[in-house]
Formats: sequence, structure tokens, C-alpha cells
Amino acid sequence: MNVIKGFATTFKHVLEESVTLQYPEQVRPFQQRYKGRHHLRRYDNGLEKCIGCSLCAASCPADAIWVEAAENSDEERYSPGERYAKTYEINMLRCIFCGYCEDACPTQAIELGHEHQLSFTDRRDVIFTKEMLIDPVPAGGQDTPQQVAPGAFNRSIPDMENPK
Amino acid sequence: MVKIYIDDREYDVPAGMNLVDAAKWHADNDIPVFCYHPKMEPVGMCRMCLVQQGAIEKDRATGEVVLDEHGQPKVRWMPKLQTACTQRVTDGMVIRTNTAEVDQARQNVIEFLLTSHPLDCPICDKGGECPLQNLTMEHGPGMSRMQFQDKQHLDKHVPLGDLIYLDEERCIQCARCVRFQDELVGDDVLAFHERGRRLQIITNSNPGFDTYFSGNTTDICPVGALTTADFRFGARPWELTEVPSIDPFDAAGSNISLSIRLDRDFGGKAMIKRVMPRQNESVNEIWISDKARFGHHFTRSENRAQSPMIRNANGQLMQTTWEEALKSVASILKAAGKDVAAIAGSQMSNEDLWALREVMSAVGSTRLGAWPITHAGADLVAQVGVGVGSNLGDLGKGDAVLIIASDLEEEVPIWRLRLKLAKERGVFLAVANARHTRMEDFATACLRYDYGMAAHFLSNLRAENPDLAQQLAQANNLIILTGAEGLSLDGSRALMQAAANFLIETGHVGKPNNGLLSTFPGPNGMGQYYMGFTPENTQDIMINPPKVLIVAQADLYHDDPSASQWVHEVETVINLTLFADETLSHEAHTILPIQSFAERDGTFTNGERRVQRFYTAQGPIADALPAWQVLSRLGEKLGRGKAKLSAATVMADIAKNVPAFAGVTYKEISNVKRQFPDVGGRDLYYGGTAYQNRGGLGVQLKTTAESGEAINTAPVELVNAPRSQAGQMLIVPTTVLYNRERTFLPSALMHPRVMMPYAEINSADAAKLGIKSGDVVEIVADTMRVRVKAHVNGGAPEGSIVLPRHLTTEAVPMTMTLGRVSKVD
Ligand code: SF4
Ligand code: SF4
Ligand code: SF4
Ligand code: FES
Repeated sequence: MNVIKGFATTFKHVLEESVTLQYPEQVRPFQQRYKGRHHLRRYDNGLEKCIGCSLCAASCPADAIWVEAAENSDEERYSPGERYAKTYEINMLRCIFCGYCEDACPTQAIELGHEHQLSFTDRRDVIFTKEMLIDPVPAGGQDTPQQVAPGAFNRSIPDMENPK
Repeated sequence: MVKIYIDDREYDVPAGMNLVDAAKWHADNDIPVFCYHPKMEPVGMCRMCLVQQGAIEKDRATGEVVLDEHGQPKVRWMPKLQTACTQRVTDGMVIRTNTAEVDQARQNVIEFLLTSHPLDCPICDKGGECPLQNLTMEHGPGMSRMQFQDKQHLDKHVPLGDLIYLDEERCIQCARCVRFQDELVGDDVLAFHERGRRLQIITNSNPGFDTYFSGNTTDICPVGALTTADFRFGARPWELTEVPSIDPFDAAGSNISLSIRLDRDFGGKAMIKRVMPRQNESVNEIWISDKARFGHHFTRSENRAQSPMIRNANGQLMQTTWEEALKSVASILKAAGKDVAAIAGSQMSNEDLWALREVMSAVGSTRLGAWPITHAGADLVAQVGVGVGSNLGDLGKGDAVLIIASDLEEEVPIWRLRLKLAKERGVFLAVANARHTRMEDFATACLRYDYGMAAHFLSNLRAENPDLAQQLAQANNLIILTGAEGLSLDGSRALMQAAANFLIETGHVGKPNNGLLSTFPGPNGMGQYYMGFTPENTQDIMINPPKVLIVAQADLYHDDPSASQWVHEVETVINLTLFADETLSHEAHTILPIQSFAERDGTFTNGERRVQRFYTAQGPIADALPAWQVLSRLGEKLGRGKAKLSAATVMADIAKNVPAFAGVTYKEISNVKRQFPDVGGRDLYYGGTAYQNRGGLGVQLKTTAESGEAINTAPVELVNAPRSQAGQMLIVPTTVLYNRERTFLPSALMHPRVMMPYAEINSADAAKLGIKSGDVVEIVADTMRVRVKAHVNGGAPEGSIVLPRHLTTEAVPMTMTLGRVSKVD
């Protein structure tokens, strides 16, 4: 008797609409709040939002982030603040995608995006460098380092708006 | 001792102690401060230290304590809160630090300070070790009532000189930096400018912030207003690992802390990010010179020797392995028989020197030379040096110090700072030299003699300067601090003997704070002596060059103009070196790359005979090894038993064999105890960011005088100094702190502070030779020929040329000599 009951359940589900997606051909839409791999953001004019403060690294529970900072000058400007990240690396093997780095960042420079296809064949490939993380220069913006007018940026930490 | 009451508990504290200090030291109660610093006089400017203060009431007539209705002593409270930092404890003082009123006051001060603070914490170099940050977290209001955006904006990037940057917005106007420069250092180069919210620090010297101690202001600044050009954004403080170390530049042996962090640009290895002071109240207190702070770049110089090299049959240096190189050196040494000598520089650690000595004993040679050969008489320091427990900070009224033949500020800046402060505590400070030196600005008495006559001056002191002689002889404690300016090696020995005699005759030996000190170049001048390396041996090596010469961390060609001649007579030179590009490398048969102080363990013996330990901090450079290891492995090949595996075991060997080191172990050197003032704890607001000493306070070696042996005076063998004569002038090599030595040149940020090569010439001589200030002159003496700018500024006595060492690329004579000067058109 139980056998029939079991098969009945199976047949019932065979007739139901399938919930399986044919990944990777089919991809489910992401929730807006999904936390995938990180992006380093830029302002509209191309300057980097990251000011190399290492707070993301300090807040990271997995110790996945490595930041080395350097000082901006008007001849070679990367960010509107006083310092910028000379080295910025995230070890995606360690990262637990908690988003604490995003919370800690005072300039909203680091944001977790939607990419989740992070498989690799060499351990070294999981160290995402600054070049890999940073957004492309937006249209109308300029790549960094930029040469700017002396004194145009005189705050240590930029106000949170697009610099004019 | 007096009784005081803090938060209703009773404490016994020494009468007259500063209340903030007393609360911290005796009651473990951190009264928050910004402007007060335990090393400086209080000024009461910031009001952060407000406390409720009262006194136990006593009946005027009977002196009895008045009791209230509960039978408790009655306290008469002050009507308003008082600044704790401006109070000295008195008997019956009652303090409350935990009342609502005090809390409110602290909140108010913090809120007030923050009304115009830029809150740059995320990128501020002080963030994480910032008194303002810490106190805001602890006592601040948590929320600001000020919602306005228009904070006062001031310049954020003001270079105060080449080394220190000022952020005017961050300054909370505590004047610690100004007071440090003015009160402690005596270089009054900072000042306040403008008023109110615009008040800012300016430098009034040219070049800016012209002092050898500027870096210390960044430690004591309670905010991130002052930052060093060296560290600026190098790392966040919490990312740094602190490694205890020793200043590798001078005889003071200042305790430092190397802040290290891994760095991509340094191949992912640990790298020194900054150098900070480490508290040792008997050595450097909490201060270090800018040379110690900013001079670490040589350890990562691109010219560091990478791997062992041997010269092949064609005369080319070829890279090889350690095993090959050591085998080759061993066979060279065996073939040379006893005709081997060694010259060791003073940056070699005690362990390195001992291992070198072992190698030399293996080949049966005792020709152990110390480099450079300027200062003699280390044996006398071992006999009658300052006693165990000496502390320049303890000197006070009734004590005396004689500084002779030394330009102390240039030679050992920390001693200069501490003796300047000693003078202000009432020490009789006499400075004798043939020319004006900076130390004279702080001296009680200034004496002059002719160049070369220092020993004569001191031997005849009683006859010719009876007053001074008496002052010194009668002092409770007397230290004679000698240099070797204007002296030959024999002259230096004579001076040391004369000084020792004076100390022995007046009974100033074998006790703390009494005895002989000398400004031996480098951090391990005394270590050289204890391990058997002497400048006299070096002199002999220079006159009778051996077949095989081992040179260890000695830059012969840069220090000695005659090197090219005598080194040439040596058949085989084996060079243990940090740098691959020394001139000596062209001569050397074998180059063995060794590690600098930053990359390995070891000990130095400072001028006060304190054996102090430095630890491994920075990542290694290519194949370089610690010198003791190289030499110990070489010793094994020469049949001296198994090579040692750690520096500590080498020290165990030293302790067994060198009587003065008996009982010295790494463990003992590493002992620490609580020091006053209690800086560097979690409460960085109190003493600044100098580090607590966790690496050890060192062990001071006993002098012979202290071990109970009778010490006798010995005749002073006066040497007649050369005198200037027709067309010939005295060339007096001197020391300047910032120079172009191999170990300092790689610190590029110091370059603007290193003088262009110059010589000082007396105006009378200048007039005779038709030389004006700024003219280029050529100085020729023996084997030396240099071109330098003439400074006619009264710095040199008539008939002599003061020629600083290591400013020119060519070597300058090590000791005084005769030479000719001519103007170059
Ligand atoms: S998401 Fe979390 S684990 Fe990943 S880098 Fe950011 S803080 Fe670290
Ligand atoms: S990403 Fe944000 S938190 Fe991380 S270093 Fe850059 S600015 Fe600082
Ligand atoms: S710069 Fe620093 S130490 Fe100097 S007054 Fe300002 S806050 Fe005080
Ligand atoms: S007023 Fe006392 S610490 Fe500033």
C-alpha cells in the first residue's frame, strides 16, 4: 500500500511546473541586496572613491582585504581625499560575503555587486587586485591618476557627493 | 609621603608630586589630559583634566581634623572644578574624578574641541592611537549638538620643514609641540600664530623646524596635527607590529621600536614603516633623534649586497653559494697561516664581533682592529666608566659634567638633550672645545683651548683653571664626557687618561652617575673593546698590512683617504658588507652579504656599557645572513666546533669567555620593569605614542672600579699636536649628524637636511687667502684632496679648517692633520 502512496507523490510532482533552472544558460534574477563580489566605485569624473583608509580591512571578519595607502598630489590624483589605495586586494577565497567592508567604508567606495561566478583553477587567481575590482571610468570621466588644478581638492575626506 | 584621597580611597604619595601623575601612578586613575605631559611643566590650557578638589579641614588653632556630624573628617570643597594638571599633591587633599559634575565638564571640553575638528579619523595617521579619539570615546558626549556644516577651514597640508607636516584644522592648540621644542630641546623653532579658532602652529626657523628632535613632537601631539613625512599614510597604527630595537647610529643606544608591516613594494616581506621611541628612562627616556627615526632606509637600499661573490681567475666577481664562498674563505685563511687581520665596524653586534674573534683565534691571529680609529681609551671606560645604575636624568644640583673635545649635539644628540635638561636641574655643565659648539648655548661654563691640546688642558686643569677644577672636583657626582675632535688617536688616549686620572683623583669612579663617557662612533664602540677589537690594532694593520684582511661592516674607503694605499698591499680582502657598491668591493676577493640590525637578533653595548638587545623586524634581503652566523659557520670549517644556531647561544659563549659579560643572558637583557612616567599604555593621551618597553631595559656591565679592584692613575702621554705654519693649516675633521655615510645616504627624505660639503674657516685666515663665504676651496692634505664651500662664520679658530666628515664623496682624514687650502676659481 505504502508503495502506491509513494509513487502517487512522485507522479503528482512530475506533473507540476519545474523549479529547476538550466544554469548557466538560465540565470535567476538577483535580489537587489544580493552580496556578490566587490566593486570599487568611482565618482562621475573618474576619481576613485576609495581613500585607502583600511577600515574595510579592519572590519573584515575573515581578514580578506589588504590595503596599502599612498598620498595623492595634484599632479597625480587618484581620489579626492588626501590618500588613496596604492594596493587594494581582496582574497575571494577568504571572503564570506558578509558585507561588513561595505558598511565600514566612509566613502561608499567598496560595494558588493552581483557577480557570483568566482570559480578558479589557480589559488593565485582568487586574489582580486585593484585593477580587477575597480569600475571602468564612466563616460565623460577621466582615468586616474588625474592632473588637477592645485588646491582643487583640499579636504582629507571628500564630502559625499560627486566632486565638481 | 603625604596622604591624599582619590574617589574616597586613601593613597600615600610623595609630597609635591603632580596630581595627574600621582593619580595615575599610585591610584591607577587616568585623569584625562591633552595639554599636560609628564615630561613638561603644566600649563593648564585645555581644561580636560578638571576634577573636584577639596581639602580635609583642620582646626587652625589645634591642628586637629574637624569632623562632621557623622564623625567623618570634614572636607572643604573648592567652589569650582580645578585643573588636576596644575596641582601638586598636599597632605589631606581630596579629589573626586567620578562625579556627575566632572563627567559633564569632560563632556563639555570634548564637545568644545570637536566643534571645529575636521574628523578626518578614517585617513588620519593618528587614528587608532589618538588621544582625542580615545577620550571622545571614553568621555565624549556621543552626539554633537552642533549641526552646522561650516567648520573653520584651514590649511591641511603645511610642511613645517622637510620632515613634519602640519594639519592646521586638527590642531587643538595644546602647545605640547611648542613647549617641547622650547622647554625641553632648547630649539625654540615653533610658535603660535593668529588667535582664536585661527590659532595655528608656525615654524620660525630657516630651514623650517630646524632641530634634531622634530619627530618627537608627532609622538606627543595629542591629535594628528603633526605627521612625519616618512610615515605619512604608511599604514594604520593597528596594522603595525612593534619590534623592539636599538638606534644603530650613536653611542647612546636609544631604545626604539620598529613598526613593521608586510608590503607589496618590498616583495610582500615585513618592512619598517616607521621608527618610534621605546621608553627607557635611563637611556633615552621617551625621545629619539630624527636620525634614529628617519635613518632606517639604508636597510632597504637597492645597493644592499644580495649574495656571496667570489672573484674568479679573470678578476671578475661571480655570484656563488654560501657553502662555496665559505669553503673558499676557509681555504684562503688556512693558506695564509697567521698572516690574517680583521677590521670590524661599530655597527657589528657583540655576537658578530665575538664570532669574528673566534674565526681569528682559529687561524691563530690576534690582530683585531676596530673601525673607525678616531676614539681611543675604551679600556678606560671599562675601568672607570659611569657606574651601574647611572642615569643622566638623575643628575641635579651639586653635580657636574664636563664635556670636552666633542660637538655633542652632532655626535650623540640624545645625550645633548638630556644634559641640557640636567643643566636646567642645576648641574654644573662645563663645555671645553677649541671652537664654539651648540652645547655651549646650554653650558654653565665654556672653556677654550687650542686644537690638539685637549689632554694638556685637562691635565693642567688644576694649575690653569683652579676654579673650574675645584667645581668639578667638589661635585657630588661628576661625569667627564669626551670626544675626539681635533685629536690624533694618541691624543685621544691622552685625553681619556687625563680624564680618568681626574676622576680617580677626585674619587668620582665606581659609583652611579660618576665616571667616564665617550662619544664612540656607532652603536657598539664599547662592544668592540670588550670583544678585543681596538683602534690601536687597526693602526698597526694599516702600517703592516696582512696577507689576508677580513673587513666587516667597515667602509674603509669612505672613511679613510689613505685606504687606497694600504688596502692595496693586502693580498686578499674578504668583505662582510651590507652594500655591494662600496669602493672596497673593487678590491675585495670575496663579498659576503650580511644583515643589518633590522633583520636579525643581536645586542649592542652602548657608551654607558649597557648591553641592549634588538630583535628581528624586517624581512631578509636576498641571501644575506647575520654576520655572526656567517662567521660561526666559517669557524666550523676552521675547526672551531659546531656553528652556533642562534644569537643567544653566541651570547652564552661571550658570557663564558669575556669576564665583563659574565652572567649576561638574553633573558636578563630582556627584563623590564615599570617605569615612571607610565607612557605607552592603552591611554595614549598621557605620554604620547612612545612605546612601553617590552623588549628589555638592558644590562649595564660593571666597571673594574665597581668590582672592587683598586684603580690607579697612569701617566698621561701627552702628544704634541701639529701647529699651523707657513701656508699649512690644521685640518680638523668633525662629525655632523646628517651626512652622506652609506648607512644614512639612502634615507632620501633627509637629503634636503644634509649640508652641501663645506669647511669652516676663520675670517683672519680667509682674508689672508682671499676667500669669501661661499667660495669653493680646495683642501689638500696627505692623501686627501677635496673641494668644498667655504663658510667664513667664526666657527673655526684661527689657523684651522673645520672640515666635517662624510659630507664629501671623497674621504676626509680620520684625525687632525696639516694641509693646504686654496681658492678655486
Ligand atoms: S564581505 Fe565580509 S568577509 Fe568579504 S571582504 Fe567584505 S568584510 Fe571581508
Ligand atoms: S574601500 Fe572604503 S573602507 Fe576600504 S580603504 Fe577604501 S575608502 Fe577605506
Ligand atoms: S600641533 Fe599638536 S602638539 Fe602642537 S599645539 Fe597642535 S595639537 Fe598640540
Ligand atoms: S588643563 Fe590640565 S591637561 Fe590641559
